Amino acid sequence: MKMHCEEVQRSLEAWLDRELNQSEAERVGSHLLECPLCSEDRRQLEHLQDALRNSLEVRASGLAFEPFWSEVRRRILEQKPWHVQFLDWVRFTLYPARLTWAIPVVIVFLLLILSLEQLVPGWGLGPGTSNLAAVESIDGHGLNVAVFRESKTKTTVIWIFQNQEGEDEAADESAPGDNTF
Amino acid sequence: MKLLTSLLRATIPFSLSLALLIPMLDAAEKGPQTVQVSIGTILASNESDNFDPRLSKMKSQLEVIKYRSYRLLREQVQKAPWQSSAAFEIPGGRSLTVIPEGYRNNRLSLKVRLLQGEKPLLDTTVQLRNRGNFLLGGPAHEGGVLILSISATTQ
Repeated sequence: MKMHCEEVQRSLEAWLDRELNQSEAERVGSHLLECPLCSEDRRQLEHLQDALRNSLEVRASGLAFEPFWSEVRRRILEQKPWHVQFLDWVRFTLYPARLTWAIPVVIVFLLLILSLEQLVPGWGLGPGTSNLAAVESIDGHGLNVAVFRESKTKTTVIWIFQNQEGEDEAADESAPGDNTF
Repeated sequence: MKLLTSLLRATIPFSLSLALLIPMLDAAEKGPQTVQVSIGTILASNESDNFDPRLSKMKSQLEVIKYRSYRLLREQVQKAPWQSSAAFEIPGGRSLTVIPEGYRNNRLSLKVRLLQGEKPLLDTTVQLRNRGNFLLGGPAHEGGVLILSISATTQ
């Protein structure tokens, strides 16, 4: 299919930049061979591109690119200090979209911790896990009674000081004088 | 707007998690039905330096009581419903009754009574951790003293 001049002029820049596909490029090329008007447009456009390229090359030759690339390489290879890495991590973690997930996760986690001791007794965390017993009331019925709570081993001891005849007297002789603990 | 959309999306897993947690929390709320009470009767004396290896788990606790020798005389386990008593025979004509009274915040309330024949030696109410224990000692026996390790576990 033969191309019209208007169509060719619209595609001329893309043709010069080799951005057209093969069939389109061939059609534009054959039109340019036949049409002096479009061929003149092409010549002017090529002239303009050459002028621009020359001007840019002259300006670019005066610029020192090596320090720029060196700095880019240095920044890529640079090891960030720990506090900068930490701040980067905080910024990444506290990104609002992530926080919206974190809130329910934290709530569910806390609920699990609070209920796990009920479901799995003795797992070690949660409320009421200290082995220290609390003595609410005590009555020795006339005997001396001592309550001792040792925090290091989490041990609670209730001790009855018996002072009776017979067996108890024998015990008093052999036990450490005052039943100390 | 983006934050609001994210929040709305986050409610879906949150709701699902809560739906899964509700049966667990419900089970936890219902609480245990019975209590397993364990009594370890230990004879402490200064007649030797023997330490019964069966008491190795309690060694640090027993070291609080400064005797040289510890021997496990017997271990007794009974299950007791709430507000019901479990009775244990203790050497020397003694007996021990334990009544589980309540359970709150993973702590059991136990009413404990030690008797010498019919005569009460001690009445106490103790709150201890589920699966925890406390020691009750002092009654003289065979040249030493008896120490009772009283522990309770919900069932």
